[in-house]
Amino acid sequence: MSLAIHTEVKEQPPTTPATETSGELKAKVSVRNLNFYYGDFRALVDNNVNLYKQKVTAFIGPSGCGKSTLLRVLNRIYDLYPNQRAEGEVLLDGENVLSAAQDVNLLRAKVGMVFQKPTPFPMTIYDNIAFGVRLYERMSKSELDARVEDALKRGALWDEVKDKLDASGLSLSGGQQQRLCIARTVAIRPEVILLDEPCSALDPISTAKIEELMDVLKQDYTIAIVTHNMQQAARTSDYTAFMYLGELVEFDETGKIFTNPKEQRTQDYITGRFG
Amino acid sequence: MEQQHEHIVRSYEEELALLNNKIAKMGGLAEQVLGQSFEALERRDPDLAAATINEDEAIDELQREIEEQAVVMIARRQPMAYDLRQIMAALRISTDLERIGDLGKNIAKRAVAVVTEQQPKQLMLGLKHMGELALGQLKEVLDAFIERDADRALKVWYKDEEIDAMYNSLFRELLTYMMEDPRNIGLCTHLLFGAKNIERVGDHATNIAETVYYLVHGRAITDQRPKGDTTATTPVTLKRSAV
Repeated sequence: MSLAIHTEVKEQPPTTPATETSGELKAKVSVRNLNFYYGDFRALVDNNVNLYKQKVTAFIGPSGCGKSTLLRVLNRIYDLYPNQRAEGEVLLDGENVLSAAQDVNLLRAKVGMVFQKPTPFPMTIYDNIAFGVRLYERMSKSELDARVEDALKRGALWDEVKDKLDASGLSLSGGQQQRLCIARTVAIRPEVILLDEPCSALDPISTAKIEELMDVLKQDYTIAIVTHNMQQAARTSDYTAFMYLGELVEFDETGKIFTNPKEQRTQDYITGRFG
Repeated sequence: MEQQHEHIVRSYEEELALLNNKIAKMGGLAEQVLGQSFEALERRDPDLAAATINEDEAIDELQREIEEQAVVMIARRQPMAYDLRQIMAALRISTDLERIGDLGKNIAKRAVAVVTEQQPKQLMLGLKHMGELALGQLKEVLDAFIERDADRALKVWYKDEEIDAMYNSLFRELLTYMMEDPRNIGLCTHLLFGAKNIERVGDHATNIAETVYYLVHGRAITDQRPKGDTTATTPVTLKRSAV
């Protein structure tokens, strides 16, 4: 199964996605024969998938299928925990990020992540953004101000917070906090953005703002989103991967997955049937 | 995909079943209206024609119901994949069946118009055969829909050529009757329109066949359908001696 997907992804990348306007598809991230273990438990089984440049790729599947685990491998967040290990390759622009030589801090600057629950730091809105930037770059106060403003604008939050940059990040609403976290991720100029259930705690208006943000951000970044909300996957992504029990069952253009999936398991899942 | 498992949410399953039942019912009514309209025309029976014209109302009503239910289901269930295709199929098929009902009604109206005509009923034979063929196609494609049988639908799709061929020969035949005797012109003109209506029924049956194929396979039929209706380009030349 996984071998078939591997071949299909590698040799026949779908060439005419609905949202494709120009240029050919380029894999920003290539996951190759990836296996992941929590202790003895194998959580990912021979995964093969590409994240295409300037595209949004959605990962869907039932709880515990490995979607979040896969995302956690892409920027090696799992490294922070004992007894977790990954085998195989995750190529970022052709370089294997799983190799021991990889500087994980640099990797996480390139591959940013936003989590399900908004995680603002207990500091001002300004510092929430500036904190990460200061870790990686030295710049003047005016340059930093400009960077913070740019990030908040990209996070579609600037107009709402420009007059209260000294207020605590925690004083914002849930939706604003989540956009603050996205702005914080964007501020350090990543190349890939990983979103793990970014809207599950948000109301529809905040969700719409984040989805609009994804549309804008994908012009510059490669985005992967894990979501339980199939309609959200259908709305926001260009490609969709369906995962089940650690396997990557099907990967295709989003339009195809949601109108005519090839695999029975995909169909059963997205239509809410007993499989 | 060979099998469709049941939905976890039972009411969703029930709504889809209801939608499918309405299509089946609508199909049955369309067959009935069409069959009766042929009979009314053949027997020049104004009462049967009037009853048939009335029955078309029920088809229109069902179409409205199906359309409304489909729109509500799209809004509430946000259907995906096979479910989405089922709902799109219901919308498309109900539109075709509604048109078939209208064509049947039109044929019935012509039956009323020709009641006083005295010509031998032998003139109607060709039309009768053509009607039987179209009705057969409709029945077949509706069975294909109910059984989700794309191969059977495909056969209907290919067979439409026969109706077209029959229409061509009927067109010539009726022209000949008109040339032979101007008193035939009134009846034959009505029959010609009736034949055209039947030919259109065949086209709607092929539309339904395409929908069934899409429903099952999730893609359109890619073959070129053989088209047989050449009457649009058939010259009509009257010989003086015949008039």
